[in-house]
Amino acid sequence: MDASTEAQLPGGESTAREPAAPRVHNGSQVVLRAHGIRKSFAVGDRQLEVLHGVDMHVEAREKLAIVGASGAGKSTLLHILGLLDRPTEGAVLLEGRDAWKLPADERALLRNRKIGFVFQFYHLLPELTAIENTVLPAMISNSPGAFRRKKREHYERAEQILTDFGLSKRLTHRPAQLSGGERQRVALARALFLDPIVIIADEPTGNLDSATGERVLELLFGEQEKRGFALLLVTHDDRLAAQCDRTLYMGDGQIEADTSVVVPD
Amino acid sequence: MYRLFISWRYFHSRRTNLIGVVGIFVAVGALIMILSIMTGFLDESRRNVRGSLSDVVVEPQFSEISTVSPSIFYPDVALGRIRADSRVRAASPRLAWYGILGFDGGYNNSIAGSSEFGDLMAVQLMGVDVLTDEKIFLKSLGRIYRDLFGLEPEFRLDDEFDTTDLRAALTSPPAESVVWIPRVRDPDHPFATPPGFSPEGRMPASVVVGEQLARNLNLQEGQPLTVTTAIRNPDSGEIEPCNREFVVGGTFRTKENEVDLGRIYLDRRELSDMLGGGKQYSEILVRLHDYDADGADVAESLKASLARVAPLDSAAGFRVRTWEEFRQTLLRAIENERVLMAIMLSLVVVVAGFTVFAILSMMVTEKRRDIGILCALGATHRGVMALFLMISVWDAIIGSVCGALAGIFAAINIDPIERALSETFGIQIFNRDVYLFDHIPSRVQPEAVAIIVAGTFLATVLFAAVPAWRAARLDPLEALRYE
Repeated sequence: MDASTEAQLPGGESTAREPAAPRVHNGSQVVLRAHGIRKSFAVGDRQLEVLHGVDMHVEAREKLAIVGASGAGKSTLLHILGLLDRPTEGAVLLEGRDAWKLPADERALLRNRKIGFVFQFYHLLPELTAIENTVLPAMISNSPGAFRRKKREHYERAEQILTDFGLSKRLTHRPAQLSGGERQRVALARALFLDPIVIIADEPTGNLDSATGERVLELLFGEQEKRGFALLLVTHDDRLAAQCDRTLYMGDGQIEADTSVVVPD
Repeated sequence: MYRLFISWRYFHSRRTNLIGVVGIFVAVGALIMILSIMTGFLDESRRNVRGSLSDVVVEPQFSEISTVSPSIFYPDVALGRIRADSRVRAASPRLAWYGILGFDGGYNNSIAGSSEFGDLMAVQLMGVDVLTDEKIFLKSLGRIYRDLFGLEPEFRLDDEFDTTDLRAALTSPPAESVVWIPRVRDPDHPFATPPGFSPEGRMPASVVVGEQLARNLNLQEGQPLTVTTAIRNPDSGEIEPCNREFVVGGTFRTKENEVDLGRIYLDRRELSDMLGGGKQYSEILVRLHDYDADGADVAESLKASLARVAPLDSAAGFRVRTWEEFRQTLLRAIENERVLMAIMLSLVVVVAGFTVFAILSMMVTEKRRDIGILCALGATHRGVMALFLMISVWDAIIGSVCGALAGIFAAINIDPIERALSETFGIQIFNRDVYLFDHIPSRVQPEAVAIIVAGTFLATVLFAAVPAWRAARLDPLEALRYE
């Protein structure tokens, strides 16, 4: 099923597009496209296929939810889209470039500059403070000299984001000294620190109580509105998916439904 | 940037890293300290051996006195040839022999009655020339010549003072561990009988004994000393004992235990007379102007020029050796010990490397999730490997720099440290009677320190490469799932 061919923004709304878009679909810019993704794992002597040829795309400034039961393959798809896991077959195009055909170092750079991750379990480095965790993507992509030259700028920017997220008094706290909601806010600040074009959030509220989860989502959607990155959200919470522009339903290793596809009566 | 930053953060937030640092610290410190001490031993041994030996040693070789030509039997011809070489500063003959000591007061009995090493006072009798009076006489003669004829002739009278450090040994301060026994009263006339100690009858010649020998035998100035030895009767060919009584004129200290414990200096003519006149000298000591530059060359040319001293006597000749060749067994033994010690102590570096390997392996397992996070944020496999290698670099830098400083400090201050430890624990760590020296010698070689630090650094990083490589090979996804 190729959801992308029929994709359109809810309500037919068209958002502002940047010039020189690598791929334009239906008047909107496609930032991430997956084509014919298959993934199988070796289990003993046989191969277990968990994704059976997935085609999908994410448009710029779009909030896309992937919903499915456990074992549907949504996390595997997310890791492939996030360039963390190589598909057995198929291609992932990030701004039109086949990411899995690039050398590993270039792919790592794409991950650093173009993609932001928010994980269910926050995944902050425990030895680093909140502000250090936030500037980590900039540390990774810069040489020591380059980072040192812009160190103040980076730290001021990180401080600004964390302050905006209500963490101004937590800048030098380590993850162990932060609550779950605070940790997830730091993780969010880290994900958007380098202004990626897409943020991949894997059950970002899955480890939080509902009130805290609500606040984190509010922040995530607010930042998405403000900064205009595409948001790819994996969840099994239908209510959360309902807040997104579009929802892909996954089951048994393939996309079973796309809310953007108008099903004839 | 993150490699430096995170590796440093991991390094100082994990106390287990201290074990690696301490391991490297101990290895580097011990290596530098021990090697410095061994180098000091070698230096000091060379200095001491050279001090009582001179630069080149010429030994006459002849089998039967009766067949020996006078040109080799007396040292004068050889001395003339040696002194003709402009690179030679001084040359003097001496006569070495061995004897057994006894002195009035019953010590003879104990020598005979005990087989213990301490009581068996076999000593080396060293007959040397000290020509102070002759030199003064010749100097005066020279002055007279100058006044009378307007030119001053060059007289050459080299003696033991010109070729060895005997004069310094006659005036050196006493070892700290030794009760003070006076040196000779007049170092320029060491074999003059001390005043007030002349017994009746024949005036015995005066001898100068090693400081430690004097202490062991509790000798006093002016004390009679009987020396017993054995010589071959040239007529019958049988070995016959002979005794002679001397008087203790004072002591000397060369700082070479072997010499200070077992040598007696006396006038060469006196010793030759005691041996029946059959031996005039056993070696000629040659001091050069510049041994380091000319040592080997002079030895070679002396071999050639001395070969012609007794051309008709095929059994007679001269053996010419530099002092290093003369004492090569001792010097080689110390050098061997130094190399062995370095090899053995290098194993400590290997152990330290294994510690770093183990700690880093543990850390890689522990930090799987962090590795996954870093990869998700754009770190490359090479970057992850470099990060973990950097941790070992911190280990190596801190451990080896601190170890080097501590090792250098300990090497420089080894004597006071040894004394303090000996006093604290009540045991004598360095027995000054056993070794050649009365202090622990040490010399820090900057190039050795550099090699040790660089070698340790390399070994640590090599050991760390395995876990670092493993970290780089980790699947980031597997690491992220590890919750």
